[in-house]
Amino acid sequence: MKGLTRRLLVRLGTGLVMVWVVATFTFFLVHALPGNPGDAQYEQYLTQGMAPETARAKVAVIYGFTSHEPLLQQYTSYMWQLLQGNLGVSISYTGEPVVQVIRAALPWTLFPVLTGLVVSFLVGVTAGVVAAVRRSSRWGGLLSLSGSLVAGVPSFVLALLLAFLFHTLWQILPFGDTSDVTLEPGFNGPYIASVISHAVLPVATYALLSYGGWLLAMKSSVVSVLGDDFILASELRGITPLTRMRYIARNAILPLFTVLALSLGFMFGGSVLIEDIFDYPGLGNLLLKSIGARDYPLMGGAFLLITVAIVLANILAELLYSVIDPRVRR
Amino acid sequence: MTAPTLGAATAAVPPRRRSTSWTAARRVVLRKPGRVIGLGILVFFALMAILGPYLYPGQLAVDPESIYAPPSGAHWLGTDFAGSDVLQEIVVGARYVLLTASLSALFTAVVGTGVGLVAGYHRGLADSVLMRATDFILTIPAFPLLIVLSTVWSFANPLEMSLVLGLTGWGGVARAVRSQTLSLRERGFLEAARGLGLPTRHIIVKELLPNIAPYVAMQLLLSVIGFIGAEVGLFFLGVVPFSSSNWGVMLNQAVFAGGAMNSPEALGYLLAPLVCILLLTLGVVLFLDAVDELFNPRLRERS
Repeated sequence: MKGLTRRLLVRLGTGLVMVWVVATFTFFLVHALPGNPGDAQYEQYLTQGMAPETARAKVAVIYGFTSHEPLLQQYTSYMWQLLQGNLGVSISYTGEPVVQVIRAALPWTLFPVLTGLVVSFLVGVTAGVVAAVRRSSRWGGLLSLSGSLVAGVPSFVLALLLAFLFHTLWQILPFGDTSDVTLEPGFNGPYIASVISHAVLPVATYALLSYGGWLLAMKSSVVSVLGDDFILASELRGITPLTRMRYIARNAILPLFTVLALSLGFMFGGSVLIEDIFDYPGLGNLLLKSIGARDYPLMGGAFLLITVAIVLANILAELLYSVIDPRVRR
Repeated sequence: MTAPTLGAATAAVPPRRRSTSWTAARRVVLRKPGRVIGLGILVFFALMAILGPYLYPGQLAVDPESIYAPPSGAHWLGTDFAGSDVLQEIVVGARYVLLTASLSALFTAVVGTGVGLVAGYHRGLADSVLMRATDFILTIPAFPLLIVLSTVWSFANPLEMSLVLGLTGWGGVARAVRSQTLSLRERGFLEAARGLGLPTRHIIVKELLPNIAPYVAMQLLLSVIGFIGAEVGLFFLGVVPFSSSNWGVMLNQAVFAGGAMNSPEALGYLLAPLVCILLLTLGVVLFLDAVDELFNPRLRERS
């Protein structure tokens, strides 16, 4: 158990360092920008006839620092604000705190990503077992090929193809936003049905995106387990194929938890493209919109939160792995 | 008088060795039809990238008379929002896409191999420092990072684009090379080299590198598709300024300006770049199978 806590602490430590590096990076990015957005805002307030002190205070609220202080002091005040969970004030969502804007967007990223993850895990792992057992037949080969192909295709290609086929060409599924805008949000039948039908395409894209990874990892894992002595022994003892399959699956599934962290990172990173295509109001969409609107506080916040999500996914994968495989704990 | 004959004698040896490895490669590729198709697709796109701009010199022709025309004899893939030929745009745009992706892959291979070799061979402090850096590169959300970077740096020209892509993508290669190096360094021939007191540089460059090259080559092929996806994605989102027409710019205009998602008229315009990327992915995946067998003799014997 000691080894586990130590490894988790190391993970947590590197994760915190990463978040710190990303925060520092965005801070200096805002400073390195030509015509520093903080200064530009300050000038704009002055031309609107505001007193220099009030203008400075307003800029400080938005960015967490003013460029009239020495750089180090700006940096420390920005970091201090960040530690208190204050990411500044959004510019494009007039006056709303960045934290609030992000909190509204976060569920719309988490919900499709996690649903897609569960779907792709179930389908991909099953297909991986089949591809491993039937690896010398034509169907097994085709199944592995589908895995490598889907794993290689860029996310937006999948998203655009799905959107085009199911929305434009066959007109089966709706597209854009989270639900029909005419419906009243709440716990009622039509609204929930609309949310689900609008989520089908993004979820399918996320699922396809990580399907290949699960399939290939599960296939190679099953192939290596199939060669183990205990499988031969269970075969000789006349244990039914179904039970033997259960033995194989339980042992083969262990190395897959490294894929979990990888595909979660992949999905959160890909959310920028996927949410933009489906016009889904999640974190990635927020990041892109903030760049279009030159809303730097929001941009920094969204980028930071995507990083935090990936770091957390990594820690979670490590934790799950050691809970499931007792050998790691020692 | 002796110099020319000596030169001829040494020159005569390498071609024969090369020819045997070439026949082996040909045999492996020809064994399965899928591999031939994969190689064919890759060669086709490589030729498109090299010859494309010569095939259609000059500017894109704009024809306001035929906007969003369906595929026909004159325009095989139809026309776009300005009446330009889609096929011409695809062929001309291939060079930027493939050149950038190949340069990024090359950059990734150099940095990743260097880091992986040093980390795996020296172990100890160098290893832990380099691997921390590799973990960092692997976990940082690369695509969002690229978008954020685009606010301060408009890296649209091929060299800068491939530099940025390469910098965010060398983690996987470094990790694979390191694990290969770790297992190779305990083998007999490396122990012998160390026992002979050969300099570390010689061991790494002459003994280790040739054994690792196949893995790097495979990683390289795989990373090319990833880089194509990333750069076309950046253009598609419109965060990088359009310097020339390429597949990403085409997609951007088809989806956001042409309203391809609501009108099936833009079908050829939208599908052409998508199908090109799909075909390239298929080509790489199919051909990788052959590369895998070529470099893994155990696979060759079994099948």
